[in-house]
Amino acid sequence: MELKVNQDNCLGCGVCVVACPVNVSISPEVAGGHGSKTTETIMMVENGVIKLFSEDKCTKCGTCQKFCPTDAIWLE
Amino acid sequence: MVANTKEVKAKDMCVKRSSPEEKRELSFKDEICVGCGICEQICPVEAIELGDIGAIVRTGAEVPKISIDENKCVLCGMCSVGCPADALEFKLDDISIKEMDEYPSLIKSAEIDDDTCIYCKACETACPREAITIARSLPDRSKLVTGEIEIDKNTCISCGVCEEMCPADAIVMEHHEPTSVDPTVSSDIYVDKDKCVYCLICRKSCPVDAIKAVCRSCSYGDYDLKPEDSEIEGSSFIDDESCINCGWCKEICPVDAAEVKKPFKGELSIDQDKCTTCGACVDICPCDVLSFPKPAESGQIPEKVFKDERFCIYCGACGKVCPVEAIDVKRTDVNYTPTKSKSWKNKMESLKS
Amino acid sequence: MPKHIVSGLKYLTAVELIRDGYNQKEVAKILEMDRSTVSHYLNGRNLSWNSIEVAEIITKFCPRDFLTLTFALLNDSEKTRIIVKTCSKKEFHATVEDSCIGCGLCADTCLMNAIVLDDLKAHIDSEWCCGCLMCGDVCPTNSIKISEEKNGC
Repeated sequence: MELKVNQDNCLGCGVCVVACPVNVSISPEVAGGHGSKTTETIMMVENGVIKLFSEDKCTKCGTCQKFCPTDAIWLE
Repeated sequence: MVANTKEVKAKDMCVKRSSPEEKRELSFKDEICVGCGICEQICPVEAIELGDIGAIVRTGAEVPKISIDENKCVLCGMCSVGCPADALEFKLDDISIKEMDEYPSLIKSAEIDDDTCIYCKACETACPREAITIARSLPDRSKLVTGEIEIDKNTCISCGVCEEMCPADAIVMEHHEPTSVDPTVSSDIYVDKDKCVYCLICRKSCPVDAIKAVCRSCSYGDYDLKPEDSEIEGSSFIDDESCINCGWCKEICPVDAAEVKKPFKGELSIDQDKCTTCGACVDICPCDVLSFPKPAESGQIPEKVFKDERFCIYCGACGKVCPVEAIDVKRTDVNYTPTKSKSWKNKMESLKS
Repeated sequence: MPKHIVSGLKYLTAVELIRDGYNQKEVAKILEMDRSTVSHYLNGRNLSWNSIEVAEIITKFCPRDFLTLTFALLNDSEKTRIIVKTCSKKEFHATVEDSCIGCGLCADTCLMNAIVLDDLKAHIDSEWCCGCLMCGDVCPTNSIKISEEKNGC
């Protein structure tokens, strides 16, 4: 399975960035909602929409998909 | 050359090999699979691969939880023996190897003793796999009522208080508009004895004392209550296919009627510091071992994931799905029937960590 | 031509069987032939020496080629077994190690039907093993060891 995003659907809310357990372990400050300061994280909100950076680190746990309000990020 | 065939039906699959002497068949039922990955671990030829189990289970993806490479599979049957959920079944000439003494099998069972069971249905409600059905027939309520009431219609003023008060809707008044021909508000009042529970609310609330009560349990009464009238009869059923031998029924049963043997013993440890509460483990655990605790008071931070190992079968699914390696499942003991084959014994022992 | 080679192989087998003490009637039964044909064969009639020569060369091939070629010519597993067992001058000793998982691939592959499974382990009857090593090739755990005992030639 692969991590996919649809930027047209994305609200840029950043819930996935915060919910992603891998993101939080790479860059603990995202847990506080401050946004990631490194492209080492799997995804980040950039210019108001979600963007994948290090998707190779994804463990396919499905958390981002579960929390995304608009189905803008998913595993396929 | 000898070659395997594979049949795929939705998310289920079946790998077969036939020779004039023998037919071998491995079938996989996705619905029963818990995604623990023991099959992947035990397969001697790396023919089985566990899918992205977190995503599959949590997003309801239409892909099977495991894949079997029919070109690698040698149809030895080890995966079916290691599977704690019986999602993989291996048959030799149409007979399951679970019925064959030479093959080892995990020792696991769940039973409810109907002689002890009081049919409270706690296990049915608690079972995380909905494998238990309790069928019960309750006693006839009217036989357990300790008395009966009678309405003295001459005294009754048809006020309707008793009808309104009766919690069992056992009193019915036939209301009608008074006319000059019949200047009353009700033509009749009667008691439905099947509904009346002899609570005497009616008698206590009647403003004109029109209700008389006859107690059956007092020594002057004509009635006797028979103990057999209050008996609850029933039967229990555990669906072996869905049952995962987690022990919920045993732990929740108030009368110790359930007996569960688990295939593995072990230890489940959670690193609360690493945990990011993503919930993947909670979602995947087939035994409802894990849950998120609610804080005792608002503002308090409870531990991140709560575990109750009484229900754990140490399948290891949670440890595999955790994206941040916060869960460690150790298997210290594997219960299986003896086998003469050293390689099979080694493989069963290899399930210990 | 294939027919002639088959006759040659049968001739060689018949000769060996007679040498092993079988009578003509028994040989005819084993090879599913008329007794008179066996008699003709043994007397060197109805048979070209060329085909016997070719058959003889085939029996001296490496065991796998002898077996697979014979099976290809006869398309009959039972007769292939008899011919290969009787005409092979080599003896093999087969052992199966405890790492065997009892998957039965070797048994399904063995054209000589020399392998049976017992208690989740393959057992190879060295009497019937022709040394083709096809079992070892399919074994997923590399548990089969076959060694040539002595060379009868």
